[in-house]
Amino acid sequence: MTDTGGIDDRSFNASSYQGLLDAAKADPNITTAYLQSTTQSDYVPNINALVQRNCGIIVTVGFLMGDATQSAAKAHPTDHFAIVDYNYSPPLNNVLGLIFNTAQAGFLGGYLAAGMTKTGTVATFGGMKLPTVTIYMDGFYDGVQYYNQKHNKNVKVLGWNEKTQNGTFTGDFTDQTKGKEVTQTFIQQGADIIFPVAGNVGLGAAAAVKQNGNGVHMLWVDTDGCISAPQYCSIFISSVTKGIASAVKTVTLAAANNQFKGGNYVGTLANNGVGISPFHDFASKVPASLQSELNQIKQGIINGSIKVASPSQPTS
Amino acid sequence: MSVVAATRRRVATLDRRTVAGAFFAALGALDILGFGLGAHAGDAVFRFSVGGESAHVPDLSLPAGTTAIVLGSLSVALGALYAGWQLGRTARRVVIAAVMALFILALLCWVDAGNSPLNIVGLLQSSLTRSIPLVLGAMSGLLGERAAVINIAIEGQLLIGAFAAAVAASAAGMLWLGLISGSLAGGLIGVLLAVFAIRYLVDQIVLGVVLNVFVLGLTGYLYDRALVPYQTTLNSPGVYGTIRVPGLADIPIIGPIFFDSNVFLYITYAVLLLVQVGVFHTRWGLRVRAVGEHPVAAETVGIRVIYTRYRQLVLGGLIAGIGGAYLTIGSVGAFGKGMSSGQGYIALAAMIFGRWTPFGAVGAALLFGFASALQNILSILGAPIPSDILLMTPYLVVILVVAGLVGRVRMPAADGKPYIKS
Repeated sequence: MTDTGGIDDRSFNASSYQGLLDAAKADPNITTAYLQSTTQSDYVPNINALVQRNCGIIVTVGFLMGDATQSAAKAHPTDHFAIVDYNYSPPLNNVLGLIFNTAQAGFLGGYLAAGMTKTGTVATFGGMKLPTVTIYMDGFYDGVQYYNQKHNKNVKVLGWNEKTQNGTFTGDFTDQTKGKEVTQTFIQQGADIIFPVAGNVGLGAAAAVKQNGNGVHMLWVDTDGCISAPQYCSIFISSVTKGIASAVKTVTLAAANNQFKGGNYVGTLANNGVGISPFHDFASKVPASLQSELNQIKQGIINGSIKVASPSQPTS
Repeated sequence: MSVVAATRRRVATLDRRTVAGAFFAALGALDILGFGLGAHAGDAVFRFSVGGESAHVPDLSLPAGTTAIVLGSLSVALGALYAGWQLGRTARRVVIAAVMALFILALLCWVDAGNSPLNIVGLLQSSLTRSIPLVLGAMSGLLGERAAVINIAIEGQLLIGAFAAAVAASAAGMLWLGLISGSLAGGLIGVLLAVFAIRYLVDQIVLGVVLNVFVLGLTGYLYDRALVPYQTTLNSPGVYGTIRVPGLADIPIIGPIFFDSNVFLYITYAVLLLVQVGVFHTRWGLRVRAVGEHPVAAETVGIRVIYTRYRQLVLGGLIAGIGGAYLTIGSVGAFGKGMSSGQGYIALAAMIFGRWTPFGAVGAALLFGFASALQNILSILGAPIPSDILLMTPYLVVILVVAGLVGRVRMPAADGKPYIKS
């Protein structure tokens, strides 16, 4: 069951549905169905509708569905649920929370952006101020600061301040014109790499970047942008991804084989649950030295020698 | 008795003047104490070019704290003037506008102190582009309501216009075809609205809301089924390039804001002028207004009331459809589900706050656009205001200013009432 973005948002709803489809492909006994929520008040009726259909597992998508899923899970203790972007403490027996430490991936994205900027200014903005959004922005911010510290530079981040936890948001995940305007303002204020964390609204940002043309580029979020929004591949340096599809696939297959276990799953750089995508058109433009630094940092984060400071990181 | 009433009225106006004057002085005090004395070190730098102009305007660099104190003092003085003297209506409005402007300038000085230069032209440019769909939507509402049919379906007209424009322009590979299709799709919703409201006397408010939900569902369904699988053929229409008006675009500051945009801005100018002249300075407009104020009287002098109402709604739909087309082929270059995001309702509000006049509606739309752009720049420059509060400001500003400046509005006398021939 998807959030208001729908299965075609080229972002987390799309990835979740893709995970279900992948599972069905791997195991022909699995059939899939989805319901889309048009407003937040649809969550509870939609979950109930799916419960009535005796699904083997119900995957709800999005932080905003946390409460609705919890009450459904408590009311139907024999049904299995998985929820993307949410976890419960204490964990519930019949719900698997799929969460992702995207601050780690955002850190790499921030470092990459700081290494690629010509103007010394990079920018990020969010759709709504939710922990699953700001965690990316935190990681991005940290990555830029780490670059500054290592290279003795002073790359500025517009749109987010980790210390005050305050920044730029468009207010929803649908108004693409707003994403475009925010991005144009960033560009006017000197930013040349933009990292929107706003689902479909990011497409507005991509339109602004493409129209500007003057050496401004961006990072896509959640999925590999060159696959989910190929018309803009030429402006995507890379994408900061989280492996929602593979996590959903894994839990769905487990449920189909009666191996479902409730609790929490945390996607990290170490288990490839989060990461940055290939550079595609930028493979030759990202300097080899920067690429190898990114690999070192990835190892550093995995072995704990580099700390990512985001307060939104999952703890379990 | 009448003496008492008169006295009471005078006391009331005196109170109101004092309260308003005190409010202006308080804003001035906030400028001085908050933005002036609380200023960060460093200058506030304002930039007046977006690049590519022939005449270069130098940056304006102001000492942030001192400037805010000066602006605040002016504001306090204006507050005293407002409370102390009996000002005429125009003078009152000028004072209110001046106090608001001083406050915004002081705020910008405070936010930009020691920061990167703040691009004023960029700020005004995005205010104007933000208001394009709002102005066109408001014109749609205005044309309908001047003939006494309420059009809540502006939101749906924008959304279906955006959808049709994206699909047609993408499939045919011609942007102008998208523009026409978007307009026609909006007109189609106008026809539906007219048939149900005029022929079948359905409640106009309910009808408008239902049409909006219908369009949201229809475009959402078609988007899932057609636009996602065939994205490259059906949802990659491209975007109109900018047209520089020769000569005018080279004027510093003004040029890049008003004369260096894509075709939609120029269409908006034209529509605005046509509606203003048409409704208020022609026989045609007089008849429309007669239908809106007193349809029975209009009918007796030979004006075809029902026909006029149909025509107005379809015309309005055609215009709102262009506003919708702007969202896709004028701005982001692809359709997205529910992408009108409530702008149709803001357009409706702009029309009402603009007292059912074109220029009034434009004023309200620009105010909203400006507040929205200002909110962006404030958050980008890292103003220490929580982002949720900032996101509220465009709506808050519109309500405050409208309450302060516009006051009570009067709608066309027959607005919303179906006309039944007896």
